[in-house]
Amino acid sequence: MDFLTSIYNFVRGPFVWITFAVFIGGSIFKLYNLISLAKKEKVVFPFIDWKGALKSILHWLVPFASRNWRKRFVMTTITFLFHICLVVTPIFLLSHNILWYESWGITWWTLPEGVADIMTLIVIIACIAFFIRRIFTPEVRFVSFSSDYLILAIAFFPFLTGFLAYHELILPYKVMVILHILFGEIMLIAIPFTRLGHMFYFFLTRTYMGSNFAHWHTRDW
Amino acid sequence: MVVEKQGFCREYIEFLRKRAPNPDIGLDETIKELTPEKIEKTIKAVIGGRSARIKTVLDTCVHCGLCAEACQWYLSNDKDPTYAPVAKMRMTIWEMIKRDGKVDAEFIKQCARIVFTECNICHRCSMYCPFGLDITFIIGMVRRICFLLGVVPQRMMDQDHAHATTLNQVWMSQNDWLDAMQWLEEEAGAGFKNIRIPIDKEGAEVMWLPLGAEPKTGTYHVDRVAKIMHVAGVDWTVPGKDCWDSSNMAMFLRDFVTMQRIVRGLYENAFRLRVRRLALTE
Repeated sequence: MDFLTSIYNFVRGPFVWITFAVFIGGSIFKLYNLISLAKKEKVVFPFIDWKGALKSILHWLVPFASRNWRKRFVMTTITFLFHICLVVTPIFLLSHNILWYESWGITWWTLPEGVADIMTLIVIIACIAFFIRRIFTPEVRFVSFSSDYLILAIAFFPFLTGFLAYHELILPYKVMVILHILFGEIMLIAIPFTRLGHMFYFFLTRTYMGSNFAHWHTRDW
Repeated sequence: MVVEKQGFCREYIEFLRKRAPNPDIGLDETIKELTPEKIEKTIKAVIGGRSARIKTVLDTCVHCGLCAEACQWYLSNDKDPTYAPVAKMRMTIWEMIKRDGKVDAEFIKQCARIVFTECNICHRCSMYCPFGLDITFIIGMVRRICFLLGVVPQRMMDQDHAHATTLNQVWMSQNDWLDAMQWLEEEAGAGFKNIRIPIDKEGAEVMWLPLGAEPKTGTYHVDRVAKIMHVAGVDWTVPGKDCWDSSNMAMFLRDFVTMQRIVRGLYENAFRLRVRRLALTE
């Protein structure tokens, strides 16, 4: 067994288990921690208004449904395409489904190869667009730190390496696939412990602010 | 042209303010008494044990800058990025956390300038933030740090002192308040027959609570309210004891003790007179 195969076996085998354990366990731990902290505050839980919260979440999940989404057409388009592709592509990719099938014999609906390719490209382009925005927009540049570029890179590299591996570009397929798996695992591990956690916190913060605005009898979208 | 010395944005020299802030005794003189230990202790007391609301904002904000367009300060200053809500957090609380509370008095003065004179705590940024983050709560916590250190614009601190001492913002004693109500009743009698400003009327329908300035300098407001209530035939009253001022300037400083005393006092007056509704100016 050569060096590459042993690395491949590691990132494909035990490290995947570690990744999912950390991702799922870490996310549950973080959410539990935050919610139990919020219970200690006098003004968070007694003021939860589920109707207002649900309205607020829905309005911000639908493209162009809130005023700020409408005001910034380009940014809204990019950010919605980016987030949808970021979540949907890995889950419904054919090759990932084959991996599930090989391991546990489960499979589900998959994207056509060409569509998945375009969606990956959208993520890559959106990441570059975010990077450019971070550098050239003054109000964003003023609040950008190395951690912001880091979390952008964490989201960027799994898709870049996946795209390159699929088309067998630059590096040999096996090396690229190892890099792809590794970056993907880094991303999953990073979600609970970095600001990528906004994927979960979105619902909590919107619930809180949606309830607040419902109490003030106004809208927050 | 004076460029402020803001060490924390040295690498963003093009964003520095070109205009010196107005002198204010409350900011310029009070920082002379601060010591690094005192500052660190205060910052740790307020934001040291991260509460859920502080933690959520810090852990969720992705620094996207979408809140900028919401801020009237940002819009009315030619889109200067240092006026964006997220920039205000960056220049105050993020820096405090990054330096673990070890900041100097000059920094506290800049914080006080930012949170007191460049933010109205209007919550508009929460309406523009995709996550609905409570940025104003963070600004409020920084205000509390500045208040506990005594670094507050003179006028705001004076109003807070007035509230703490007399429970209204205009240093009006209970005698003055009762006197004002009585002579206003006499004056109003010239236009309307049997017009009354009922003081401490138990079981009234409505208790009216003015702003501090109304019995002091804007007495015509009281006059008009009395006439409206008289013509509308409302069974109304004003409290005869302290806590008649419905403004709460202590809230803007996050002076928790005084702001609770004010609200508690208003409700105690309402319970004492068994009124059914409170009517507030503004």
